Amino acid sequence: MAVAGTSGTGTRSTGSMVAAASTNNVTSFQRRGPRASGADSGCSRLVSIAGTRRSVRNGQLLVSTGLPALDQFLGGGLAVGTVLLIEEDKYNIYSPLLFNYFLAEGIVSGHALLVASAKEDPADILQKLPAPLIDHSYKKECDEDICGHKMESDIKMKIAWRYQLFPKMEGRPVLSSGFGHDYDISKRIPQELIETSKWHGFFLPEKISSTFNVESCSLTSGYMKLLQFIQNIIYEEGFDGSNPQKKQKNILRIGIQNLGSPLWGDDICCAENCDASHSLTKFLYILRALLRTSLSACIITVPTHLIQNKAVIARVTNLSDTVVGLESFIGSEKETNPLYKDYHGLIHIRQIPRLNNLIYDISDVKDLAFKLKKKLFTIERLHLPPDLSDTVSRSSKQDLAESAKLLGPGCGMTAGGKKHLDF
Amino acid sequence: MLESLLAVGGLMLLRDSVEWEGRSLLKALVKKSALRGEQVHVLGCEVSEEEFREGFDSNINSRLVYHDLFRDPLSWSKPGKALPGGPLEALRALDKRTVSGPATIALDSLSWLLHHLPCPTLCQTLHALSRQDSCPGDTPPGEQVRVLGLLHEELHGPGPLGALSSLAQTEVTLSGMMGQASAQILCRRPRQRPTHQTQWFSILPDFSLELQAEPPLESQPRSDPHTPSVDPTTHLTFNLHLSKKEREAKDSLTLPFQFSSEKQQALLRPGLGQATSHIFYEPDAYDDLDQEDPDDDLDV
Repeated sequence: MAVAGTSGTGTRSTGSMVAAASTNNVTSFQRRGPRASGADSGCSRLVSIAGTRRSVRNGQLLVSTGLPALDQFLGGGLAVGTVLLIEEDKYNIYSPLLFNYFLAEGIVSGHALLVASAKEDPADILQKLPAPLIDHSYKKECDEDICGHKMESDIKMKIAWRYQLFPKMEGRPVLSSGFGHDYDISKRIPQELIETSKWHGFFLPEKISSTFNVESCSLTSGYMKLLQFIQNIIYEEGFDGSNPQKKQKNILRIGIQNLGSPLWGDDICCAENCDASHSLTKFLYILRALLRTSLSACIITVPTHLIQNKAVIARVTNLSDTVVGLESFIGSEKETNPLYKDYHGLIHIRQIPRLNNLIYDISDVKDLAFKLKKKLFTIERLHLPPDLSDTVSRSSKQDLAESAKLLGPGCGMTAGGKKHLDF
Repeated sequence: MLESLLAVGGLMLLRDSVEWEGRSLLKALVKKSALRGEQVHVLGCEVSEEEFREGFDSNINSRLVYHDLFRDPLSWSKPGKALPGGPLEALRALDKRTVSGPATIALDSLSWLLHHLPCPTLCQTLHALSRQDSCPGDTPPGEQVRVLGLLHEELHGPGPLGALSSLAQTEVTLSGMMGQASAQILCRRPRQRPTHQTQWFSILPDFSLELQAEPPLESQPRSDPHTPSVDPTTHLTFNLHLSKKEREAKDSLTLPFQFSSEKQQALLRPGLGQATSHIFYEPDAYDDLDQEDPDDDLDV
């Protein structure tokens, strides 16, 4: 993807453009401007904050979601000032992983964090974040996977010999260095990283534990408190530019877990025609307004499979910027389907925002599947093999599995082997 | 399997229906935890206290702490005699009282509570009940509080059922076949795949649980054997298979763009100082190698 390839240029500041031009000998054009040599000066017009980069399409400031694969499919990353909505899977196993990746990326990049939850204490959530990996160890693991595949298909190609040296078509996207880090889920984040980071927690049972009668559990009280908390943090820490800070500008990453579940006091998961069905939509509207006027990015997980009213789901989707849905195969009939045997679920990218742009930045790949390995969470393209079985009837799933294996390596191989047809 | 359920803390939902009632299973589980020496609190809403205590022997009855909401749910009688504040206060009182040691709270029925309290409030209270301690990671699993809730699933729509299922650590759905009761147990541990199990059981008159093996399935009428599939490659007028000689001839055929291996390697190897591209020309059998340019005599 073009986005991944040009990540290096995005992080270069204006000051060093002059130096770069002279070393490359590509062009004799020189940028007229403040000739600050090397380091970022205060008068550079582009805001360069650690852990962010500019999008190549529209110059929007992007932060990484923690998963480089997801970044690629979202158009380079999550734009600052927008909301990423994750529709939870049925048993809520995989959406906390995406949530944790986002927060871990914030800690590693040095951003401030705000974690809000009604189920778990934010301090506990932070303890369970994945540990960051150094680059070469992750690449080694990737290579081990690829080597396994290489042994199988080392056959010399007779007609299409020019493709021998081409890399095999991998479902895995290209890793871009410098933006987005890799994490090891099996290890916990080291304690000193958490202590050096700046984080604020919002745990709902603590905030409303004082008065617990029925009146105070009105639907918007939990949301109101959360919005006030977020607004206070943004104002006090200066993320909206209100207190001009002498120190470096920073991004605030907000994570809200299980929004819309009954634990927040919201009714939409319980009844189809609920009394205050607009509380969640109002909350999202005000939250987005807060985000647009500050340097922050937000991730929200919503249990949409529990929401009874489909209109509410549509409204919630429209009120968020980027929407990613997770569908896991556990318990469904897709678990035994041989097409999906390598994966644990599907990812649906339901919505991508159109920010300062005339077109949407969608990728051409629409079938994505995810797999939870022991150490990492991968998102891959779902290769659906064409039906090349001998028997015309489609009831033979065995043949589908066979052809899936054969067509794995890519376009160079012909589906020969065990077939009876010889042409 | 049912015994190991009691080792896990948190909320356990017992979903029953009209055909397969769950109160006897609830009483069996209550008896089991009482026999293990835990505190047992029962919030009774649907049946009277006498009826609930019936069938238990005296040592179990002495361990049961019964909170009665059945007799006077709306507190119409003299204040002080029944629980004031209604069901929510009763639940909150349970929250405060059970602070020490392992305990089991049995809610006689969650359906009754769902009808009298708004669902989000009930979910929040149950969540607070089942995470009694501030640091759930510190206490060993045996010390945690268990909440057993009886839920009549036919009384509620998918909304409240889904909301309560998402909160519950374990969900036991009662069903059965031919007079034999079975429990389908769905165990959700945080961050792990949910496990699904079916256990056949029966409850003895003294409310002890007897686990049973699966009853033999009666042989279903076998579906008629499907017609043998016809192989379409027989009796064809053209040849789909190659004989050995034909295959040899096919392998030895030179393909039009199949170059010698040196040329292949030269093409594949990316040239180091390749400023211009090379043209490899291998004349074909029919090529005319006339070097003269036929356009030379044109005056253009």
